[in-house]
Amino acid sequence: MIENKKNILIFLTAVLFSVILIFLALFIGSTPIEPADILDYIFNNSENISTSTAIIIGEIRLPRIILAFIVGAGLAVAGAVFQAIIRNPMVDPYIIGISAGAGTGVMLALFLGIEIVVFNLNSLPVFAFLGAVLTVFIVYQLAKVGNKLPVLTFLLAGVAVSFILNSMMSFLMVLRTENLQQLVYWLMGSLAGSAWKDVRMILPYFLAALAVILFYLKDLNILLLGEESAVHLGLNVEKTKVILLGAASLLTASVVAVSGSIGFIGLVVPHMARIIIGPDHRRLIPLTALIGASFLLLADTAARTIMAPMELPVGIITAFAGGPYFIYLLRNKSKDIW
Amino acid sequence: MKIMLQTDKIKFSYNQEEILKGIDLQIKSGSFIGIIGPNASGKSTLLKNMSKTLQVDSGTVYLNHKLLNDYSSLELARKMAVVPQNTEVSFNFNVYDIIMMGRHPYQKRWSGISKNDKKIVNEVMEVTDTFKLRSKLIKELSGGERQRVIIARALAQKPNVLLLDEPTSSLDINYQAEIYDLLNYLNQKWDLTIITVSHDLNLTAQYCEQLILLNEGEIFASGSAEEVLTEENIREVYKAEVLIKSNPLSDKPFITLIPEVNKFKKKKEKKEFKIHIIAGGGTAKKFIYKLDNLGYRLSIGVLNIGDADWQVARELGVEIVEAPPFIDISDNEIKRNKELIEKSDLIILSDLPFGHGNIANLEVLLDYANKPKILFSNLNIEKRDYIKGKAEKIWNKLLEEDDNIVLLNDKSQLISEIKKLEN
Repeated sequence: MIENKKNILIFLTAVLFSVILIFLALFIGSTPIEPADILDYIFNNSENISTSTAIIIGEIRLPRIILAFIVGAGLAVAGAVFQAIIRNPMVDPYIIGISAGAGTGVMLALFLGIEIVVFNLNSLPVFAFLGAVLTVFIVYQLAKVGNKLPVLTFLLAGVAVSFILNSMMSFLMVLRTENLQQLVYWLMGSLAGSAWKDVRMILPYFLAALAVILFYLKDLNILLLGEESAVHLGLNVEKTKVILLGAASLLTASVVAVSGSIGFIGLVVPHMARIIIGPDHRRLIPLTALIGASFLLLADTAARTIMAPMELPVGIITAFAGGPYFIYLLRNKSKDIW
Repeated sequence: MKIMLQTDKIKFSYNQEEILKGIDLQIKSGSFIGIIGPNASGKSTLLKNMSKTLQVDSGTVYLNHKLLNDYSSLELARKMAVVPQNTEVSFNFNVYDIIMMGRHPYQKRWSGISKNDKKIVNEVMEVTDTFKLRSKLIKELSGGERQRVIIARALAQKPNVLLLDEPTSSLDINYQAEIYDLLNYLNQKWDLTIITVSHDLNLTAQYCEQLILLNEGEIFASGSAEEVLTEENIREVYKAEVLIKSNPLSDKPFITLIPEVNKFKKKKEKKEFKIHIIAGGGTAKKFIYKLDNLGYRLSIGVLNIGDADWQVARELGVEIVEAPPFIDISDNEIKRNKELIEKSDLIILSDLPFGHGNIANLEVLLDYANKPKILFSNLNIEKRDYIKGKAEKIWNKLLEEDDNIVLLNDKSQLISEIKKLEN
């Protein structure tokens, strides 16, 4: 019971923190806006404020905040799921090349000029998904030694595949010289220029993938016991793994389609959440989502304000925070970091 | 009796190597079975085939008269629980959560923890003595505690059969007994059918009512511990020389490896140098092995039948002059002892105590002033004399009259002293 109260408190704090961050992000920006106008916009339906202010708030800042929230939550949850399936806390969609795979899928679609929209469903995330799934499959096969999946070979295979995919992306980018800066920013991971259409594009995929993961939270716990034990507890391990890998890849793909490769959130955030609330995925995944969302929102707000009016790709900031953390994890015995 | 688990000519190969070559087993409900055998004999593989972790190449496995393959994974998890070899959990769940995961086969996806789940988890925590650990993190536990938690989780599945793969291989000796005591209790009180794979022959012999000895993928022997653990079987399967005694506490066979004999057996050549040993009460058993191993020709006497030294000497095939226990050594035995002494190049007298029964063993030395002798003098003769100074008197006379005596204070110097005399 004490345990439950503590957990409720943790979640209330996380939600409160997110809400405060959202407000903060609305107030801060390269164009100064009176806080009173913002409150007016929110509570009085923007009748009394100028159109330009309304556009800045409603069409620029708000969609970007929402998108940062979705992308942050998506990457963090995908990271946590990959970590549980591979049973290795060093795994992150960025490090093992899934982000790069999704990115290459998007690049290829853009290069070939394929963009189909059916019933509001955009095909870009689908290409990203195909790229991501293909990458997972290749990295997994490369890293497998017999029946085992050693941590180091997995990381190395991921890094190697990332290199190849990144160079492919660069090559495609050079061939398609218009919008170069925009593409470079996208490659580094950025939320610049996001609009409601981006939110609309990824939301269906994001929600579908998240729903699947939420459906399998208990199974994630059991997978952590090791595949053999999981089988003996009556879990259909192979099926569960395929479904969850697919869902986490879709999650990664949908967010990469709009934000490019933002690194390390999937690594750092699940670990932070695990320290706070323990390894039980029924609590870990929701908290990971909340912290991931807040983390990226914070990083993105920093990205657009530190050097205003110039914008930094947010991927630079997350990598600055995540890189050293990754080194710390590498130096630690992997036993102590779950 | 009901058959719980049955295997019918099961075969299994890995990388084209046949690991199991047709295993037929019938395991009765409520039995406690130990599967033993050397490394690579297929014992873990057999367990994995019985638990559907590995799929048999041919043959069939029945659980409760139903084909194992006809069980869904959830159904099977309600009938059979497995404690795998590696139970290390590398993340920080607490003990209660880990044990509660054993209820997974009974829980629907969205249903929470039911009253019944709680009741059963409490029950298994009690029987495995893990209740006090329930809010601890799994990583904080000792190896033995962790193993009990894993067993508790298996019990929470409410299985009919419990399979364990080397449940004590990484545990200290005190925890080993604890785990087997627990298994024994579960077998007796809960009527749980238990099948355990182990390389610890003594532990399984003590606890399991039936042993199955595997060798190169086939059943070499099965039955009670006494039937399976014979010196011949072990020699054949393990290529090792052992001594099998009966554990005085349980009356079950107890195996002792005969040291070094195995290793050097092939090289061992008998020397010409003959040593006669006078000992008793286990005062010589340590060095008899060594000397035999070094190739000395040994004889020993007079020993009481059943004496610790007698057992060792007999096991090694040393020539013995033996006498029935609890009565004085007879003239006939003294005469035979003398015959052996005369043939020997050296006499060793261990630090044995003297009483009426064996004083003749000391007296006999007076007749061989010319033979080299090594007398253990680490224990004072007064303390070993139980016949009011008579032994001491003989001892002192011996030291006075005899120039061929080496007194040995430090027993570890025995071999080097013998080597000196040998040259």
